[in-house]
Amino acid sequence: MAEVEFDQASRIYTAGAKPAVNRLDLEIADGEFVVLVGPSGSGKSTALRMLAGLEEIDGGQIRIGGRNMVGVPSRDRDIAMVFQNYALYPNKTVGENMAFPLKMRGVPKEERATKVKAAAEILGLSEYLDRKPRALSGGQRQRVAMGRAIVREPQVFLMDEPLSNLDAKMRVSTRTEIAAMQRRLGVTTVYVTHDQVEAMTMGDRVALLKDGELQQFATPAELYDKPANAFVAGFIGSPAMNLFTLPVSEEGVRMGSSELALPRSLRSRITEAGLSTVQLGIRPEQWTVGSNGDGAGVKAQVDVVEELGSDAFLYAHLDDGEQTPVVVRTGGRSGARRGDQIALTPTSEDLHLFDPSTGERV
Amino acid sequence: MTVTAERPAELTPRRPDRGPGSRADGWVRRAPLLPALVFTIIVTQLPFLFTIYYSLQSWNLVRPGSRQFVGIDNYILVFTDSQFRQVALNTVLLTAGSVLFSLILGLLFALLLDRAFLGRGFIRTLLITPFLITPVAAALLWKTVLFDPTYGLINFVLSPFGVGATDWISTFPLTSVMVALVWQWTPFMMLLILAGLQSQPHDVLEAARVDGATSWGVFREVTIPHLRRFIELGIVLGAIYLINTFDAIYMMTQGGPGTASANLPFYIYQRAFLGFDIGQSAAMGVVVVVATIIVATFALRLIFRSFSGGEET
Amino acid sequence: MAAPTTTERPATPSTQDLAPARKGRVGASLLTVLAWIVGIGFFFPILWMVLTAFKQEADAYTTPPKLFFTPTLDQFRAVFDAGIGPYLLNSLFATVVSTILVLVLATPAAFAVSLRPVKKVQDVLFFFISTKMLPVVAAIVPIYVVVNDIGMLDNIWTLIVLYTAMNLPIAVWMMRSFFQEVPKELLEAASMDGASTARSLREVVLPVISPGMAATALICVIFAWNEFFFAVNLTAARAATVPVFLVGFITSEGLYFAKLCAAATLAALPVVIAGWIAQNKLVQGLSFGAVK
Repeated sequence: MAEVEFDQASRIYTAGAKPAVNRLDLEIADGEFVVLVGPSGSGKSTALRMLAGLEEIDGGQIRIGGRNMVGVPSRDRDIAMVFQNYALYPNKTVGENMAFPLKMRGVPKEERATKVKAAAEILGLSEYLDRKPRALSGGQRQRVAMGRAIVREPQVFLMDEPLSNLDAKMRVSTRTEIAAMQRRLGVTTVYVTHDQVEAMTMGDRVALLKDGELQQFATPAELYDKPANAFVAGFIGSPAMNLFTLPVSEEGVRMGSSELALPRSLRSRITEAGLSTVQLGIRPEQWTVGSNGDGAGVKAQVDVVEELGSDAFLYAHLDDGEQTPVVVRTGGRSGARRGDQIALTPTSEDLHLFDPSTGERV
Repeated sequence: MTVTAERPAELTPRRPDRGPGSRADGWVRRAPLLPALVFTIIVTQLPFLFTIYYSLQSWNLVRPGSRQFVGIDNYILVFTDSQFRQVALNTVLLTAGSVLFSLILGLLFALLLDRAFLGRGFIRTLLITPFLITPVAAALLWKTVLFDPTYGLINFVLSPFGVGATDWISTFPLTSVMVALVWQWTPFMMLLILAGLQSQPHDVLEAARVDGATSWGVFREVTIPHLRRFIELGIVLGAIYLINTFDAIYMMTQGGPGTASANLPFYIYQRAFLGFDIGQSAAMGVVVVVATIIVATFALRLIFRSFSGGEET
Repeated sequence: MAAPTTTERPATPSTQDLAPARKGRVGASLLTVLAWIVGIGFFFPILWMVLTAFKQEADAYTTPPKLFFTPTLDQFRAVFDAGIGPYLLNSLFATVVSTILVLVLATPAAFAVSLRPVKKVQDVLFFFISTKMLPVVAAIVPIYVVVNDIGMLDNIWTLIVLYTAMNLPIAVWMMRSFFQEVPKELLEAASMDGASTARSLREVVLPVISPGMAATALICVIFAWNEFFFAVNLTAARAATVPVFLVGFITSEGLYFAKLCAAATLAALPVVIAGWIAQNKLVQGLSFGAVK
C-alpha cells in the first residue's frame, strides 16, 4: 500500500497542441479512494493510464510510495487495474484469469490456488472458477476483473469506468460493493468515471477535470457546497445548479424586472471583488415556491413537472424577457402543473457567486 | 485549488531512453518484422534487379558464349514484336473478362445463398469446390471431359440445339480458357460477397425498412454500398491471381493456335524455357512489371482505402 | 440423365430475391430450386470427373455419356502404378513446410504492424502486398538462372522457399487482420499483471488468434498445393509435385479419360477436403478481417 502523487504530470500527444493532461497535481493518501471525474475528453482516463504506465509521462512526475514512475513499465509498478470492458483473457477460465498475475510473479501453485479461492469466495465466484469468461453474465465478468485485481494485493488499484457496461440496477449495487471492499482492503484506489453520482458516492475525495486541467480536488461534500468555479458548480449535482449572470444592484442583483435581495455577507464579497455583474448559482433545492399572487420573489412559468415520488422537479422559465430556464426542487406531490405561474425566492443564505469573466468562486 | 490555464509552451513529448517511444523500443518493435521483410526482399525483389540486368543483354542459353551487353535492343524488339502486343492484349482481356464475369456470377450466387433454405450449407459446399480444385486438374477437366469435341459433355448437352461436334478449344481458345477461369474464380467472389452480405448490421437493414424502403431500395441504398469494399477486394485479389494465369493456358491450349490464347506469363515462359532467350524474356518481364506497377498503384489505393481505415490518420 | 443441368445458367435469379413479399412462398421455393440447380450445375463437372475416375475406359468413351456403370478402382490403381506416390509426398512436404515457414515469419511481422506497430505501418503493408502485384513471370528467368547456378534445380527446398515468399504477403495481411481484433486492453492487462511482452503474446494473444492462424494456414495450403508455374519450371523427376505429375500423365497416357480423371481426382482431393471442412475459415481468411 502506498500514497500516490501526481507532480505537475503532463501528457502531450502532439507537440504544440493542448496537452491531454496539463500539469496535474494530486496527492493521494495511503488507503484513500479517489475518483477522477469529468466530461469526455477531460483527460481523466489519460491521467489514470499515465499512472498505470500505459501512457507516457511527458512532463513532471508520478510517484507511487515516493518512487518516481517515469520510465517504469507497468509490470514493475505493483498496481492492478480493472478495465472498462474487463479485458478478461478469453481462453482462460475464471480461475486462471484470477491466478494469472500471481503466476506471472512466480507465486507457487498451491498459494495461487488458495488466494484465488479466497478472492472467489469474497466475490461470490466460487462456483464459476472453471468457466470461461464468455459463459458469464456482465456482472460476473466485472467481478472476475475485480478478482484478478485483488488477488495480487497490489499497492494501488486502478479502475477505468468499471461499471459502465452494467445495467442501471447492477451498477448501483456493485458501486456499493466496490466501495465497501476498498474500505475493507484499505488499498489506495484511483477510480475514473464520467458519472458524477458514482464520483460523489464512492470517493473519499473527488478530482474534477476538464480539458486536461484539474478544476477541483476535494471531498464530495465540499465539491457540492463550495464549488471552486462555475464549471464545477454546473457539473456536480443533478439536476444541475441554476446559473444566472446578473447585474449587481443596491440590495443584491437584478433578475428581470424584480430585484433579488442578497444577504450582507454575499454583498460584501461582491463589493470586495469589485464586480458590476455576477454569476449567481442557486441549486434546485435552494428555492421556495410561492404562488404568483404573493408578490415577493421572481416570477416564473412552469414548463415541465418531473414527479419522482419523494420529490418533484419543476422546469420553468423566468418572466425576465429572455425566458431564462430554471429548475426547482419541491416536495413530492407538489400539485404544480404545466403553465402554472409561480414566484421563486431563494431560501438559503448559502448561494454561490462566481466571477462571470473567470468563472472563479467569489 | 484551481489550476489556472497557463500554457506550458516548453512542454514537448518526452523521448525517454527506455520504455515506450525510445530508440531501443523502436528496434524492439521492428525486430519481429525484420525476418519476414528481409526474406521477402531477397526472394521477391532481388530477382527483379537481375531481370533488369539480364534484359540489357543478348543471352541465349542454347548458344553458349553468345552473352553480351546490348543496351536497350531487347526493349526495341519487344515493342516492335506484334506477337507481344497481341499477347499483352490477350492478357488484359483474359484478366479483365475473368474478373468481371466471375464477379457478376459470384454476386448472383451470393444473393441466391443469402437466405435460409433447405440444404444451403450443402449447396455452398458444392459451389466453393471449383476454387479448391487444383487448377491443373481443373484445366484438364475442361479440356477433356467438358470441351472434348467427340465425348465432351458440353457438346452432348448442346446437341439437342443443333450444335454439332464443335472443337471449342480450337475455335474459341481464349474464351474457352476464360470459361474455365471464371468457373474456378466465381466461388471466390461468391464467398467474399456472401461474407459481405452476412456481415450487414441487421439494425441498419431494419431501420431502412422502417423508413419505408422497398426491398430493391434497401438493396441499392444499403447493401450495395456495404458490399463495395468486398467487391473491391474481390477485384484486386482476383486480378492479382488471374493476371498470373499459367496453368490453364499451359494445359488447355499451349497458347495456341499461334499466340491466339497466350498471355504474358505463358509467352515469356515460351521465350525463356522453350526459346532459351534470356535477354528477350527478361526485357518482356520488365515491361510487364512496369505496366503492372501502373495498374497496381490504382488497385493498391483501392485496397488501402477499403481495408486499413483502422490506423489511417 | 442429370447432364442438362449444366445448361441452366442463372439468367435473372437475383431480382426475384428482391421481389415484394406478396409473392411470398412460391417465390421462396422457386429461389430454393434455383439455388439447387445452380449449385449442382456448377459442381457437376467435378462430380462427372469423380464418376469417370471409377469407370472403365470403355465406359468413359460413350455417346451419350454413361451415368450408370459398374464402378472399378482400376484407374486409381493405374495412377499409383504410374508412380503418383512420390509426387504426392513432394507436394505434401512442400505444402506443409512452406506453410509452417509462412506462419513463423508472418505472425511476428503481423504483430509488428498491428498490436505494437512500428512506424510507417502503411509503407510496410504496401510493400508486402505490392510484391503480390508483380507478376511472377518477370522473376522466373533470374530465379531459374540463380537456382541453376547454385545447383538447386529439382530440389524440393527451392519450391519451399518460393512458396513461402509467394504466400507470405497475403499471410501478413491476414494475420494482421486477426491481430487487430485482439482488444488492446488484453495486452495492457497482461502487462499490468506482470507479463513480459513475449509472455503475454504466448499466454494471452496466441490463444485468441489461433483460429485466425488456422484460417491463414488453410489458404497457404491451398495455394501451395495447387501451385504449378514454379514447379513445372524448376523441378523434374526428383522434386516435382502433383500438378507436374498430372501434366506428365496427360502426355504419356494421351486421352485415357478415366485414368486422367482418376489422377486429377487424386491431385485435387486433399485440398478439396480440407477446404470443405474449414469453409468458414476460408471466408475469414479471404476477407482480410472485413468479416468478424
